[in-house]
Amino acid sequence: MLIINCPYCGPREQCEFTNGGEAHVARPSNPEEVSDKEWSEYVFFRSNPKGIYFERWVHSHGCKKWFNAVRDTSTDKILKSYEIADEKPSIADLEDSNLATPSGEPEVGSGNFTVKKP
Amino acid sequence: MSAQDNRNSQIIAFHQSINFTFDGVKYKGFKGDTIASALLRNNIKIIGRSFKYHRPRGIYTCGIEEPNALVQILTEYSEPNTRATIKQIYEGLEVESQNRWPSLENDLGSVNSLLSPLFSAGFYNKTFMRPKSFWKKVYEPLIRKAAGLGKPPKAFKTNSTQLHHHVDIVIVGGGLSGLLAAKSLLKTKLKVLLIEQDSYLGGILKNSNKVSTIDDQDNSSWINEVEKEINSSENIKILKNTLATTYNYINHLIAIEDLSVGAMPLEGKADQILHKIRAEHIILANGHIERLISFRNNDLPGIMLSGSFEKYIQRYGVIPETNPVIFSNNSSSYSLVKKLIDLDCKPQAYIDSRSGDKIEHDLLKIIHKENIPLFTDAHIEGCDGKKQVQEISVRDSEGIITKLKSKMLCVSGGYNPDVHLFTQSKGVLSWDDEYLTFKPSKSFQNTIVIGSASGMFQYSKLANEINSKLNFLNPELIVKIDFKLNESDNYAIEKLWETKHEKESLWSKSFIDLQNDVTTKDLRQGILEGFDRIEHLKRFTTNSMGTDQGKISSINALGIVSEILDKKVSEVGTTIYRPPYAPLSFASIAGRGTYNFYDPERKTSIHEWHKKNGAIFENVGQWKRPWFFKSHSEENLDEAVQRESLQVRRFAGVLDGSTLGKIEVKGVDALEFMNLIYTNDFSKMKPMSARYALMLGEDGMIMDDGIISKINDKHFIATTTTGGAANVLSHMEEFAQTEWPHLNVFMNSITEQFCTFNISGPKTRLIMKRVFKDIKFDNESFPFMTFSNFTYLDSPIRILRASFTGELGYEIYARPSVALKLWEDLFRFGKDEGLIAYGTETMHLLRAEKGYIIVGQDTDGSVTPQDMDLNWMIGKNKKDFIGRRSLTRSDTIRSDRKQLVGIKPVDQKNTIEEGQHIIMSLNMKPPVKMLGHITSSYMSPNLGHSFAMAVIKDGKNLIGSKAFVSSSTGSAFEVEIIKPIFIDEENKRLVS
Repeated sequence: MLIINCPYCGPREQCEFTNGGEAHVARPSNPEEVSDKEWSEYVFFRSNPKGIYFERWVHSHGCKKWFNAVRDTSTDKILKSYEIADEKPSIADLEDSNLATPSGEPEVGSGNFTVKKP
Repeated sequence: MSAQDNRNSQIIAFHQSINFTFDGVKYKGFKGDTIASALLRNNIKIIGRSFKYHRPRGIYTCGIEEPNALVQILTEYSEPNTRATIKQIYEGLEVESQNRWPSLENDLGSVNSLLSPLFSAGFYNKTFMRPKSFWKKVYEPLIRKAAGLGKPPKAFKTNSTQLHHHVDIVIVGGGLSGLLAAKSLLKTKLKVLLIEQDSYLGGILKNSNKVSTIDDQDNSSWINEVEKEINSSENIKILKNTLATTYNYINHLIAIEDLSVGAMPLEGKADQILHKIRAEHIILANGHIERLISFRNNDLPGIMLSGSFEKYIQRYGVIPETNPVIFSNNSSSYSLVKKLIDLDCKPQAYIDSRSGDKIEHDLLKIIHKENIPLFTDAHIEGCDGKKQVQEISVRDSEGIITKLKSKMLCVSGGYNPDVHLFTQSKGVLSWDDEYLTFKPSKSFQNTIVIGSASGMFQYSKLANEINSKLNFLNPELIVKIDFKLNESDNYAIEKLWETKHEKESLWSKSFIDLQNDVTTKDLRQGILEGFDRIEHLKRFTTNSMGTDQGKISSINALGIVSEILDKKVSEVGTTIYRPPYAPLSFASIAGRGTYNFYDPERKTSIHEWHKKNGAIFENVGQWKRPWFFKSHSEENLDEAVQRESLQVRRFAGVLDGSTLGKIEVKGVDALEFMNLIYTNDFSKMKPMSARYALMLGEDGMIMDDGIISKINDKHFIATTTTGGAANVLSHMEEFAQTEWPHLNVFMNSITEQFCTFNISGPKTRLIMKRVFKDIKFDNESFPFMTFSNFTYLDSPIRILRASFTGELGYEIYARPSVALKLWEDLFRFGKDEGLIAYGTETMHLLRAEKGYIIVGQDTDGSVTPQDMDLNWMIGKNKKDFIGRRSLTRSDTIRSDRKQLVGIKPVDQKNTIEEGQHIIMSLNMKPPVKMLGHITSSYMSPNLGHSFAMAVIKDGKNLIGSKAFVSSSTGSAFEVEIIKPIFIDEENKRLVS
């Protein structure tokens, strides 16, 4: 079980939170003017990277506040959590991010192979 | 030759004998014995039959790694697959062997062994393919009958509980290195938990003869001293009989503690605790596991790992067989040979795959001194015997076979560091060319591995290892320790995974996975068929997929595969070790969260009244809602619903609607917010009026519905479906916080603050007038879909004129404190007018007659308002609301979408069933095109026949035509597609 750092309450067990999918997916401000394709991008399509992922969480069994977090999907390490209104952090500024591969997969912990080739 | 007691064991209480039964026969053991050690004491060799071939199997090991000796515990709810090598006996324990019929000695399934060509690798995938029609009637029942090892338990054990810990350090393993680690953390400020799976500390010091003295003390007194020091410390706590099974992210460890070791679990008392531990650092000191060597018939009862044999002597005080034959490819057997000589039970022969110049000098010396037959550079070719080992074939360096008559063969294939927990923590392993095993190399989490678990097998280097690895926790740390050993401190091993067979027969098999009956031949065949990746090969052959997870053989399998593929073992890699380390029961995971504690029950304020008046309840989410009321004890659901439905349409009925979700929305921007959340336009709505409203997801699909009461532009009260209340509130919160944070609006659940009674029927107005004498209920003063606040018994109430039945109706919102009084008042004044209480089933029937949908029954997350013919609810003048744009997507404007229609049978005797399919004609060739399905169906006493609602393709255009509905009896019948409204299309009753 992960420990998630709620920006309002501090670190808490994962069971207090609910995941809300990818973050920084803006709702079109002019829904009537966008094409079917643009609208469906917003409603249905999400990226699914191996590596750094920006996602939303809600402290559903706590303060009920929504916030964003950066998680490395290959290790489940949460590198940063921040308030909804905050700007999307740049990957380069993240502490502890071990971007050994283009996808951000670190050497240890990605779980695909228990033995790495030398 | 037979078993013999070693009375020097300090752990077995030889003065305390214990009676137990195995397959109905009474045996005697001693306090401290496991089932396995007690059976060995009684010269019982066959414990069970194997999984696939039903070959006789015995006790192979002396611990958690046991692949074969699995038994059913009859006295504990018939718990299956219990390891006989761990479970301690107690007075009255009843044990049964598994996977045999009719008896252990004569098992009919053993014929499978002769059919083995059928059961080779991938046999399930290949054998049961054809003919197709055989699967359901022949193969599946047969496989189900033969599947598994034990029989399912007879009852669910619920006596377990859970504990949470937050500590600085966890030490896994209370053996030699674990104790040294604990000792080094004494007198620090660190909070430490020491977890030991056994009922005593010391590990290898007590389980083997390897260490003679430690700091010039005998092992036991050294252990006792350390344990005393730890117990008197304030910072270290010991958990015995506790097995760490799972290593999760962020140093989260799960461990299971057995509270009833060597005793019958007490009824009503917890017999296990699931510990959930969060630590800063985890020190893995969980030791190593001995592995096997594959040779012909290496599964026969009477073959045991050498270290386990030594453990039975040392710990359990039983020599499973005096004068065994010993076979090894490494230096570890020295202490066993020495022990057997000391006990005057010297080995019958010692066989070492290494050449004489590589074997330790001390070992050779005592073997020569005692005149023990020695074979160097030699292998075990195989074993033969009926149901157990009788003859052992040794092939010497020249290839000459010597046959030894013996009932016991001890085998040592070397050591593996126990890396399960380390790999669960996502640490990376590396191959050790000297010790021929995988060992921890790089930690992912705050994990420190010490002792033999780290792949370090030298006693003399242990102190240094601990000093350097734990120095950062305790800078003043200097561990010094001095050992006197009964073996060489330089562990040495030669590569040997499998020996060559001379003899071929159907009975002759060389096993790699004893629990799943996987042979080395299966591995070869799997690779030949193209499964040359280790993860694929594992699944194709089922190697290491048993409950023991191949603890004694998985590295051997990698070794064999690497030789077949001519690759390095490090290139072959390992399969992923997944939690749990050893099986743990569902009961322990469930903990206290079972039966009454599984989920809270929510009851309305008048629940007791319902109970007294014959209510039968149904679960709606967590709520208990009256389903129907029995007017007399023999009345069934159908009869009650027919009676209740007629009564409401003719007179009056009241439904306890308190479970409906109620959300209060307040704020300067409440109106704008509500206009964005719901499809309806609330702008022109007058204060103190109400609307039926729809909520969509961004995909345009109906999510929930309810009645919105507008007090003013800054204050709304929304009702939701009973099951959807929590979702609707979080949906509102999500959009308020993430999309429209600039809107000044607040939401609050008030579901439990108000009880809701829905009263309806032609007599309603009369009854309401009598209960609330000062309120005017005529159409002009109190029109449809308006509400007002009043007081009742000095408590504020709100009455809304609305109806879900299609009859004249009111919803009364009252505080729980006056709810029961009000409910009783309704009956006091209404009984003579025919007022009854009705349940949810009648409510469903009545609303369907009127054509009102239920979200979640008539909709399924793939229907739009257009599909449900609810276009009128969409605010045409609104620029935006959640889901609006999706309603004009190419997919949602298709005309052939499934749309809501009404259905009635042409022959009124037919009853339509929910979920049945609708087709156009009976003469269509397969595959038959389905039009749609029935979503709601009832027998209407008011119409006098069955009727239904359905979603069918292009439904609106098909109204007026005929179709067919399937039925569970097999014959379809003709129906008429009509508008989805069955009574009072003109709303005369509603606004009467």
